Amino acid sequence: MNKWVRENLWRHAVAISISLFALFPLYLVILSSLKTSGSLQVGSFIPHEISLDNFRFLFKSPKTPYLLWFKNSILIASTVALSSVFIGAASAFAFSRLKFKGKRLGIRLLLLVQMFPAVLAISAVYIIMERVYTFAPSLGLGSQGGLILVYLGGSMGVNIWLLKGFVDSIPAELDEAAKIDGASPMQIYWLIFLPLATPVLAVVCLLSFIGTFNEFILARLFLVEMNGRTIAVGLQQFIGGQYATNWGPFAAGSILASIPIVIIFLSLQRFIVNGLTAGSVKG
Amino acid sequence: MRGKFALITKIVLLGFTTAILGLLTMSAFAQKQYVIGGFLLIAALAINVVYLTKISVPFKFFLPGILFFLAFVIAPIFFTVQMSGYKYQTGNYLDKPAALEQVIKLGAQPDAAGTTYDLTVGKDSSGKYAVLVSDIPNDKYFLSTQDQRIDLPKSSLTFDANGVAITAPNFTSISAITLANDDTYSKIRYKYENEYFISIVGQNAGGVFRQELTYSAKTGVLTNVFTGATYADNHKGNFAKVGSPQEILSPGWRAPVWFENYSRLITDHKIRTPLIRVFIWTVVFAGFTVLGTFGMGLLLAIALNRKIRGRRVYRSILILPYAMPSVMSILIWAGMFDSDFGAVNSILHTHIHWLQNPSLARGIVLLVNLWLGFPYFYLICSGSLQAIPSELLEAAAIDGANPRQVFRKITLPLLLQILSPLLIASFAFNFNNFNLIYLLTGGGPTQTLNGEIAGATDILISYTYKIAFGSASFQDFGLASAISVIIFLLVASLSLYGLRRSKVMETFA
Repeated sequence: MNKWVRENLWRHAVAISISLFALFPLYLVILSSLKTSGSLQVGSFIPHEISLDNFRFLFKSPKTPYLLWFKNSILIASTVALSSVFIGAASAFAFSRLKFKGKRLGIRLLLLVQMFPAVLAISAVYIIMERVYTFAPSLGLGSQGGLILVYLGGSMGVNIWLLKGFVDSIPAELDEAAKIDGASPMQIYWLIFLPLATPVLAVVCLLSFIGTFNEFILARLFLVEMNGRTIAVGLQQFIGGQYATNWGPFAAGSILASIPIVIIFLSLQRFIVNGLTAGSVKG
Repeated sequence: MRGKFALITKIVLLGFTTAILGLLTMSAFAQKQYVIGGFLLIAALAINVVYLTKISVPFKFFLPGILFFLAFVIAPIFFTVQMSGYKYQTGNYLDKPAALEQVIKLGAQPDAAGTTYDLTVGKDSSGKYAVLVSDIPNDKYFLSTQDQRIDLPKSSLTFDANGVAITAPNFTSISAITLANDDTYSKIRYKYENEYFISIVGQNAGGVFRQELTYSAKTGVLTNVFTGATYADNHKGNFAKVGSPQEILSPGWRAPVWFENYSRLITDHKIRTPLIRVFIWTVVFAGFTVLGTFGMGLLLAIALNRKIRGRRVYRSILILPYAMPSVMSILIWAGMFDSDFGAVNSILHTHIHWLQNPSLARGIVLLVNLWLGFPYFYLICSGSLQAIPSELLEAAAIDGANPRQVFRKITLPLLLQILSPLLIASFAFNFNNFNLIYLLTGGGPTQTLNGEIAGATDILISYTYKIAFGSASFQDFGLASAISVIIFLLVASLSLYGLRRSKVMETFA
């Protein structure tokens, strides 16, 4: 007993206290989502009343087309995730498996450019998409199509980098064997590499989905129309400046929006940790 | 069979893409967006060349990625770097010809009496825009084009209920709907008398003006015809009065000023002072965040490095802050610290202005970032702890080292060596952690009294965002771009250093 206390008590103490720290805001937000009045004000840690008014408000009130926002978020994030992995996988394959001039330079350039803070290129992106709007409104500023294009461009660097790391870890013996049998690089890519890499691609796809789901600034700039917004923009604008009345529905909305992401994240834990050590930092 | 299918798919896809890009190219050129149109055209050509010939196999893989990368990453960066060499701010948005046009337009002054007339817009017999002007008080009527004015006898005209002439010989009026779609007519200066002319000032109304400023294309100088004062290009984006350079004409234009935006960062104390303060806080913020999150993560990793009861439960709870979408959690924290409605005040039964007090706000920023970031280092550290060979630790124990010594002399140095690239990456990430600052405090609290826009919690990137987009009355893209370039250089060199320390670079060899 004495030994157990000496060796394990502090471990539990550390784990419990930090767990409480981790849970503190989450618990409060769940509490306030179940209250009837709107504020995040919680008199005590134990709920006295439980009501689903806030959830009902979210789905019924015309001020919050929550389902539409949710649909937009899912639609935009999945389009971006699927297309960027589709495009990125080809580049990653070439970087990883093909021999060509300027490969080293290409990778370095990709890395270097990635370090330019994206937030600061926003004014330039804004001006470019403003111009695109003049001839193709559905791909320019204010459209979801335009936002998707910008996301695709922006996610290219990270995804190629991440994918290359994964691709490098797939043994090359199979495609080398195919090469000896006379297969062209295209055939190797489509018939051997892609089927082999599918699980890896799925993971990067989900990571990209989470990243896009989480993006705020560009979405805020692009999606002005109430019904076209993503969850992040919709909820942020919804509570902007009017905490008192809108906090309850916000709390309910943020919980609902977080659940799918948290589930994806927890189920991918193992892969994400591998990705983390490869040097990506989730925002 | 398979080959045929692939070939057909390829041709269909190629045709489809080419058709879309071709359409976009044409509409871009039609709207005079030549740069974008040119890019689309080159993209369409490149796609066809690369996929229909055997010029380069790698390009078959790279091309789609490269095109997106060029359009939405390289081009904006290039544009930003270019902007940093220009005076590009409120008052200097236009290009030079457009600014000159505006200056000349603003250089037209109404006559002393501020005379206005009712008029009807139309075309004369030669098809030129003309206005039929009714000087009702003096009972005079005339038809005016850009070049000439013809006085008309009243008998040749018909009038509406208000006594405004609406038809005249050799004059066809134009309907309001047609006019609404084409505003050329409103830019024409219709002849009045001497140096005076009539300008459209509203629907069916014109005013008498005279041009005060005249521009000589040969000398590039504007002259005020009445005072004789001359205004010349000051090479900083404005026309300035010769002999008194402080008097400038608005608007100005985007003028190349080369490195002035950069030198202003050092020489202009109004920019330098807040910039230094913000820079120091940025380093402190990023540094403390890395130390705090790493420290807490390591502590947890060590505590849970043994199979204790409930480890899996702890683990699931502990990574929750990391699994939550960060936008949501930051907004939740911001709401909790709201002084009027927030949960923190109501639980403590206090009324503290958490986010209005500079020191408190900074503390909260660090606290929230600790919450957001510690699971990352927990995950990383627990992985790395397992990677340290246990023989090493056992050997030390056999040699008589106590657990604390083992940790200080073996585990920690090894961990730091393994993790230093990730610590540097985390520093670089937090150096630019825009979302946290923007959504949590907005950079505030700010002392707005002296017009200062940098707040107590502003980091470089949020401060720069404020310079570019923050205020409705003054935005300075040139200066913001210059700071962006500097941030880029700082972060890039830091990250390259970090990568060099890790083994990543070796894989390129």
